[in-house]
Amino acid sequence: MAGVALGNDASGARPGAFARAATRGYNPGMYKWFLAWRYLHTKLIAFFGIASVMLCVAMVLVVMSVMGGFLDTIRARSRGLHSEIVLEAGSLQGFPYYEEFARYASAQLPQVVRLTTPVVYSYGILRVPATTETKPVRVLGIRLGEYVQVNDFRKGLYYERFYPGTTHLAPQPLPVGGFDENGAGRLPPDLEAANARWRESESDREAVEEYLRNPFEKAPRPYVTPAVPGDRVFAVDVGGPHYAEPENYGVIVGCDVLFERRADGNFDRHLCRGADLALTLMPLSQAGNPTGEPPVKLPLRYADDSRSGIYEIDSLCVYVDADMLQHQLAMDAQPLVDGGFTRPRVNQLLIGLQPGVELNAARDAIDAVWLRFLGTLGETVSEADERLLGFVRVYSWEDLQRPFIAAVEKEKVLVTILFALISVVAIALVGCIFYMIVEKKTRDIGILKALGASGRGVAGLFIAYAAAVGICGALLGTALGCVFVWNINDIQDFLAALNPALRVWSPEVYTFDKIPEVVKRADAAWIASIAVLASMIGSLIPARVAARVWPVQALRYE
Amino acid sequence: MLRATGIHKTYRLDRVEVKVLRGASLAVEEAEFVVIMGASGSGKSTLLHILGALDTPDRGGVEFKGRELFGAATGNAARERYRNREVGFVFQFYHLLPELSVLENVMIPGLVTHPFWSWRRSRGRVRQDATQLLERVGLSHRIAHRPNELSGGERQRVAIARALMNRPTLLLADEPTGNLDETIGAEILKLLAELNQAGQTIVMVTHDPKVASHAHRQVRLADGVVRASETAGPRPSAPRATRRVAP
Ligand SMILES: Nc1ncnc2c1ncn2[C@@H]1O[C@H](COP(=O)(O)OP(=O)(O)OP(=O)(O)O)[C@@H](O)[C@H]1O
Ligand SMILES: [Mg+2]
Repeated sequence: MAGVALGNDASGARPGAFARAATRGYNPGMYKWFLAWRYLHTKLIAFFGIASVMLCVAMVLVVMSVMGGFLDTIRARSRGLHSEIVLEAGSLQGFPYYEEFARYASAQLPQVVRLTTPVVYSYGILRVPATTETKPVRVLGIRLGEYVQVNDFRKGLYYERFYPGTTHLAPQPLPVGGFDENGAGRLPPDLEAANARWRESESDREAVEEYLRNPFEKAPRPYVTPAVPGDRVFAVDVGGPHYAEPENYGVIVGCDVLFERRADGNFDRHLCRGADLALTLMPLSQAGNPTGEPPVKLPLRYADDSRSGIYEIDSLCVYVDADMLQHQLAMDAQPLVDGGFTRPRVNQLLIGLQPGVELNAARDAIDAVWLRFLGTLGETVSEADERLLGFVRVYSWEDLQRPFIAAVEKEKVLVTILFALISVVAIALVGCIFYMIVEKKTRDIGILKALGASGRGVAGLFIAYAAAVGICGALLGTALGCVFVWNINDIQDFLAALNPALRVWSPEVYTFDKIPEVVKRADAAWIASIAVLASMIGSLIPARVAARVWPVQALRYE
Repeated sequence: MLRATGIHKTYRLDRVEVKVLRGASLAVEEAEFVVIMGASGSGKSTLLHILGALDTPDRGGVEFKGRELFGAATGNAARERYRNREVGFVFQFYHLLPELSVLENVMIPGLVTHPFWSWRRSRGRVRQDATQLLERVGLSHRIAHRPNELSGGERQRVAIARALMNRPTLLLADEPTGNLDETIGAEILKLLAELNQAGQTIVMVTHDPKVASHAHRQVRLADGVVRASETAGPRPSAPRATRRVAP
């Protein structure tokens, strides 16, 4: 046996008890938990520790939640922006053989490819004849029916929500409202019917009530602008509701292109639905030169506005019918001087995937099919077409949005590191506080040691104390952080009400109407446990000092 | 039962060496009441601290029930156990924990003994023992008070109750009456004498000869060694079978 037993107490000098004590230390001691708990709620200084841990935890939690929410929203929106896979021309001239490839890919990869739809794009100038306002825009030619099946475009359409099924890009007349015998506004029957369908199915009853209170703002003909800009605007005229000629192609306008975003996130629409818009386009030849024809000027009708949630897109893009745009841009089959025709071209082919297909694998498979497809074309391809086909790349939505997402991700990491550094200050503070406590408690530590407490036990007392401080601080901090994040928009509104300069989050600048207000459980758990650990680390040096207190030194004097 | 032989203890202050103990030896038998006297600064406290394993000697050894306290084979854990279970120490300055109530102060040695996981089982007994001890020292009505709400004499009685908490084999008291007036001091001494009557082994330091007269045996510490003095009271006839203090 390594030592000698010194006890003959009630438990007896059991052989082995001493050896156990010698190896593990005589360190059972309930006292550390008891005293840690007692010090926690009797010592004022503990509250400083708790407060500093609490503030750090709350701070980091708020930053991580807001930045994380930001990131998640961007991800979710990016995902619904284009489609899962995009075949991109890489040039304004576009690429030919897209229909052939769409058929080929669907046949080759039926379990991967769900749907394909071509997109034509160009740049142009949008003009509002009523106000002579002009805007440079990116014009996207889409097949609306297919387009909404590969992405979330439909969710962002405004009038389509209240009048489902009425937004389209084909030639359309101007809807004109009238008044009934009570003087209330009435729309043409198909719009009223669509609206009734919406009121039936809408789960947000408040939105329905809001609609019923004020169905739409009225823009008296022949003007297209109402006296008060509002959410829904229709042209009205005396006489019954009707449609007014001429029929023009529809255009869906990005919500930020023409309208001002209000602080509540909604828009002030100052044009009636169906208002005349004009789009000027510059067709390019297959080689990318201007065709020499004068620029195309298209009369259009404002069919709806769309909101993707990404400011860069909503402030720039307008959407028209793909085939119409293709024709106007001279990207459809054009006669050649030597007889024959050019191949129609598009700028993108969007591919929607079958549910459950893994994104990167699908992209690689489609990429491989694209190369195989090029092989099947053989000698029939003209030289110019071949050049255009060479530019085509296959992307997944993640590839397309990566630079954007990566930037925000970096920002999140950066800010988190910054605040984590601040938290190091909290560790140091806990360390200082505990050092002070140990200094003040030297005599008590000596007493405990004189009563048989071991060095490890006393160190354990202070670490347990620090853990208790950490746990209290972390719990309070998590609560504070959650309350802050959950109410962050109210807090911001309150601040903005005090002084508009205090509005930090402006929906006009940021792409989101609201600051994200979701706290992830995993984030909260991580931050809280790191805070507890950090406080314990902060207490290590003081605990070591306490462990080394020599009882006689501490007890010699009063 | 306790045998200190040839204890040396030297303090070094800068370059000055203070040789406090130079071969002090002392043997204490079971149920004995030994008083250590000596001039101020003669090393009485130092010796008592070594006997209680609160300090280590430079040379010499202390044997408790035939086991060496400071031997190479004896680890810290064994000394901690000795301090907790075998010795009750009463300090001149009481040394109570200010944040705890009187009852909790008395319970502390029990809290040191019992681990967290069995505390629910042992709590009742520890609390009961502490209550009985406080009754024994006449403080059952001050159980919930904080030490700073007590007088010096009351504090010292709490300290004695705490020292007795784990039913120690040995009670070491370093001038327990040093800070108290005569009547209160006499009460404390009466209490110690009663404990001794009940079989408690006591080693007490004092420099008051009147106080010393309560003991069976007086020793004098001078020049760093222990010298026997006259026996003050009757020696215990035989070591009692029990060392327990009936509360
Ligand atoms: N830690 C220390 N460092 C230096 N010298 C010390 C230390 N502890 C005690 N001494 C010295 O040792 C000597 C003995 O001290 P001790 O406290 O044992 O005396 P004492 O007999 O108890 O005196 P008193 O009756 O005044 O309590 C004193 O001279 C004291 O100055
Ligand atoms: Mg002394």
